[in-house]
Amino acid sequence: MTAIYNFNIFRGINDLIEWASQQLVIYIDIFKYLLPAVPKTILITVSSFVLALALGLIFGLLRISYRKPVRTLAGIYIDAIRGVPLLVQIFFIYFGLGAVLNLERFTAGVLAIGICYSAYLAEIFRAGIEAIDHGQYEAAYSLGMTRLQTLRHVIIPQSIRIVIPPIANQFIAALKDSSLVSIIGLRELTRAGREYYSQNFTDFQTWLLVGVIYLIMTIGASRVVKWLERYFAVKGFGTLKA
Amino acid sequence: MIIQIKNLYRRFGKTQAVDDVSLDVEQGEVVVIIGPSGSGKSTFLRCLNALEDIDSGEIIIEGHRIDRSHKDIHRVRLEVGMVFQNFNLFPHLNVIENVKLAQKVVRKRSDDVAHRRALELLEQVGLGDKTLAYPAELSGGQKQRVAIVRALAMDPKIMLFDEVTSALDPEMIGEVLDVMKYLAQKGMTMLVVTHKLSFARDVADRVIFMENGRIVEQGSPAQIFDNPAIARTRQFLTSALGDQ
Ligand SMILES: Nc1ncnc2c1ncn2[C@@H]1O[C@H](COP(=O)(O)OP(=O)(O)O)[C@@H](O)[C@H]1O
Ligand SMILES: [Mg+2]
Repeated sequence: MTAIYNFNIFRGINDLIEWASQQLVIYIDIFKYLLPAVPKTILITVSSFVLALALGLIFGLLRISYRKPVRTLAGIYIDAIRGVPLLVQIFFIYFGLGAVLNLERFTAGVLAIGICYSAYLAEIFRAGIEAIDHGQYEAAYSLGMTRLQTLRHVIIPQSIRIVIPPIANQFIAALKDSSLVSIIGLRELTRAGREYYSQNFTDFQTWLLVGVIYLIMTIGASRVVKWLERYFAVKGFGTLKA
Repeated sequence: MIIQIKNLYRRFGKTQAVDDVSLDVEQGEVVVIIGPSGSGKSTFLRCLNALEDIDSGEIIIEGHRIDRSHKDIHRVRLEVGMVFQNFNLFPHLNVIENVKLAQKVVRKRSDDVAHRRALELLEQVGLGDKTLAYPAELSGGQKQRVAIVRALAMDPKIMLFDEVTSALDPEMIGEVLDVMKYLAQKGMTMLVVTHKLSFARDVADRVIFMENGRIVEQGSPAQIFDNPAIARTRQFLTSALGDQ
């Protein structure tokens, strides 16, 4: 009995090792398949975020223009975009505008995410600019600086420090939302995951690994942000010599 | 006349902050404005630098009409430097960059020229060794001297000082007043709002007592301090001297 029992344990361990190595082979296979799609996800995220930063800064500044109609129009842009799901915006830009303007998948995807996030970033920039003490404007104006010079040299450099953490959150959100463009056939990470599992039927392993890869990227991004925050915190606010 | 002000009015809601003020200031004159809190001293000074809209009246500085809606208003502001109670230094820039910024951006001076001008002025006020410090690392008195230097670096013709010692610890007031005295001796045209009556007595060519947005009385320091014509002035001076 003892011998059989031992034999069973032995078989059990053997099976386990066999199972684990099979799994490992599957995971490695999936990983090999997914990896080439990672740069595409990064490219989509970074491109659309650069667009979002530029548009967001412009609309954030228009939002605090001293011309009321300009403020109102910027407000409408921001509210309209924040009020529509990103997925609908992707469909609208790719199938709607894309058909007319002949947009490629990549352009449409980047445009959709970039425009969507610009509305959130505009609000962050606006808040960051409004957080600066009014005395800073008065000092700059009294030195003969124009409003634009004041914003550029005095206000915005101080706002950067305030807006970095919320902007970083938006970047991480955009990284995750980039998976939505898989639906228009852009071959990024999520799309690659769908392709793999539809051929191999390994749902569990595929989506687990896709998730883990996103997680690694978002953790990496927040690391970079921590570093950025420290870099900007030192400058000019006496944080070093508290 | 370097400054001509005619029938200036400025109102906030129901408060008539500046109420029919007329004033001429000569080149090199030091005018000290005193008066209780809320009497419109700050609003009046800010009008001169177009930081405040005016409801009616006229301000002419060196022949140029000050008009806030004018596109080139920042050009006129160049001739008028201002120093504030809360310093308003740029916290993200070190001392020398604070002094250089507007020289480069507005006066279009090269980095080198701006740097030399900044250094020269900082040395004059005893801050030659603080050029690389950030505002957060300075004492109040040092901050205010940097703020004065920052305004002076633009080579203004007129300097406005709004209670520049009010936020300072007592032991730091002297170092800032000394810089202002030095400027007055050098012939700068100055309008100074202050509670430091001893400074007014020593430095002012003319003292103005303001209340409820109006000029109640004006004259030489001797006239105002030793022999005020109006009872309200006397009353204010008695209470103000009690605080000194
Ligand atoms: N931006 C403003 N909005 C509303 N009221 C103001 C504003 N600035 C000043 N006032 C009012 O105008 C009056 C004069 O203020 P101020 O010029 O600051 O006086 P002072 O400098 O003599 O203390 C006060 O009653 C003050 O409350
Ligand atoms: Mg005041």
